[in-house]
Amino acid sequence: MVAEDFKDFKLKPMKCELNYLSKSDGSAILAQGETVVLASVNGPLDIKITSQSMEKATLEVLFSAKGGKPNVSDRFKESVIRQTCETAILGCLYPRTGITVTIQELEDFGGLLTCAVNCTCLALLNSGLSMKHVVAAVGCALDDSGNLVLEPTYDQIQSAAATMHFVFDSRAKTLVTGFTTGIFSEGAYDEALERCRAASDLVFDFYREVVATYCKVIG
Amino acid sequence: MKVKIGDVVLPGDYCDEITADGVKSKVVLGPGLRKEVDHVYIMKAGVLRKRNPNTFWVDSYQKRYVPSRSENVIGIVVQKAGDLYRVDIGGSCTAALSYLSFEGATKKNRPEVQIGDVIYAKMLVASKDMEPELVCVDSHGKKGRLGVLNDGFVFKCSLNLIRKILNPICPLLESLKNEWPFELAAGMNGRIWIKANTMRETIAVGYAILGAEYLSDDEIKTMCTNIASILAGHVS
Amino acid sequence: MSDVYKVIHPNKYFNDYISLNVRPDGRKFDEQRSIKLNANAISNADASALIKCGNTTVVCGITLELATPKAEEPDHGFLVTNVELLPLCSSKFKPGPPSDYAQVISNTVNDIIKNSKCIDLKDLCIVSDKLAWVLYCDMVCLDNDGSIIDACITTLITSLKSLSLPAVSFDVETEEVKVDISNKTLLKVTGLPVATSFAIYQSPESNIVLTDPTTFEEEMCGGIGANLIVCWNQGLLCGVQKYGGGNIPTESQKNLLQVAKKRSKLVEEVIETCLS
Repeated sequence: MVAEDFKDFKLKPMKCELNYLSKSDGSAILAQGETVVLASVNGPLDIKITSQSMEKATLEVLFSAKGGKPNVSDRFKESVIRQTCETAILGCLYPRTGITVTIQELEDFGGLLTCAVNCTCLALLNSGLSMKHVVAAVGCALDDSGNLVLEPTYDQIQSAAATMHFVFDSRAKTLVTGFTTGIFSEGAYDEALERCRAASDLVFDFYREVVATYCKVIG
Repeated sequence: MKVKIGDVVLPGDYCDEITADGVKSKVVLGPGLRKEVDHVYIMKAGVLRKRNPNTFWVDSYQKRYVPSRSENVIGIVVQKAGDLYRVDIGGSCTAALSYLSFEGATKKNRPEVQIGDVIYAKMLVASKDMEPELVCVDSHGKKGRLGVLNDGFVFKCSLNLIRKILNPICPLLESLKNEWPFELAAGMNGRIWIKANTMRETIAVGYAILGAEYLSDDEIKTMCTNIASILAGHVS
Repeated sequence: MSDVYKVIHPNKYFNDYISLNVRPDGRKFDEQRSIKLNANAISNADASALIKCGNTTVVCGITLELATPKAEEPDHGFLVTNVELLPLCSSKFKPGPPSDYAQVISNTVNDIIKNSKCIDLKDLCIVSDKLAWVLYCDMVCLDNDGSIIDACITTLITSLKSLSLPAVSFDVETEEVKVDISNKTLLKVTGLPVATSFAIYQSPESNIVLTDPTTFEEEMCGGIGANLIVCWNQGLLCGVQKYGGGNIPTESQKNLLQVAKKRSKLVEEVIETCLS
């Protein structure tokens, strides 16, 4: 539908196209730097009775890696994305239905999971499902000398002492999801959290720009 | 984030103007808005709109239909079950349509509806906790424009496009109806039924509607004229 | 009577307790359950430990095996961790291949151990490119009552600390391997990672953080399993994972890390006492 270029000295340039797939209810393709992810959302749909919930919509997330067999770390990614989406979607408005999110990795040059979370959020916006808030994921790396790098490149991740990823909500910018690798001090964690929280504003601004470009014509 | 009427909004934004209006008089919260403890929050991405005196809603993009009361929809009969028809309306589950909710239908005199028929019906019950229910009569027992749609051609589109072409200020149908005769039924569930004299004309209407999705009003007028001249054989 | 109430109105039942500043099992919000730890519980494993955190029971067994190192890392041994959630431990688990949840738990435990760098895989290598130890660490959950990752990490680290490797002689020419069971050396374990789980409950007024949640509390807080897992290793963080549930209020973030730090000190003491 629209292609949008976003440049900033802090984050990798983001490019996004909404409604990329014609048959799914909502879809988005997002490039953050070199990393590219495609996400599709279908729902609310009819699902089998055993997995229906009386209280809220059942969310199912499928992550397909670029190559190779599905493995345990894909399950982990699915779990992260599912729990993040569960807090964002107002599932109580769609009881006894299912919402399926499918994520396809296209290119991975670092920051795959943050890109996947952001892409999923854009696909959800496109699908028109009711949401409590939007979410923005930002990652950073801590190098050996203790410097923080926002949105690290593939090489920087490989050589980093620790990497940290955070997902924030758009209302009060509280922490929705977080995951880390490596060893780091409490001070470094706090600094990374605050830097990423500040950087999440850029992601929210980007969402708004993407929505603004197609809003003029849908009325 | 705090937003105003007419702004581009994202889920999680809130609008204090609505809360302020709500103190003075009752307000109507349309699609995409939700009242929580402290503020009125936005649930969908789009543009926040207001119609005087007190109606607010968010114009958003959507393809999947979520049933909502008193909307006219186009469905396809998929099953006969007892004294019900089950109708696929593109939502998360099929809708029920009683044998008796047709004009002049009685226990003895059943309407002639077959599996696979296209139905233009009104949503009677649409609650998130219940199966949606359709009727093909109004409250006076008259069928009006509702009922089985014979012949014609059905295609799907986004829900916005339906809202756009049904908007009185949209020039699409105004321009098209002057060019050649056709019948059209637009269901709020993203389905459109059209019937024209020839196949060529039917396809032309279909293309005109689908093509209008991302066009402005002026562009729509130009497009309609273009299609009409191609159809008339002036341009090949 | 209260049991019936719990079944019929679980949310209201839970909320009633929380509004009185107490949890259903009588604990305060930041109070943890007592820990019972027993090293070398299984005689036929090379090292083992059993932990009981409240009702949560996990047993860990380590078996040793010899293998050829991977070509790309010729001087590294292997540490294979696996968590099993059998139908025995909760009615939520069905027999068959491991569920998504079990895979996620396994992955998290593996990540924490790897990130903490408490085992140097080079120590497990005997002859570069020829022979190395494989440590199969199997954790089986016998009773799942919440905070399962904490229990897994503690039993795993206790087992690793009590593990001693037999001396191995390797003849380079004949490629003959001799294992001397009588001559054993303790495996070097640097650091002591301790994980602490939290559940975050969204009450209408504010979000409440519960330390060391039970399964019922985890369910009430939404998400699958604990919402926040903080892992301390000797004064440094080696993993902060947050999934689902309520969002963490910025002001209580610091406090949570301190609660986890205090608990890690305590668990360290428990492990030291158990092994001495």
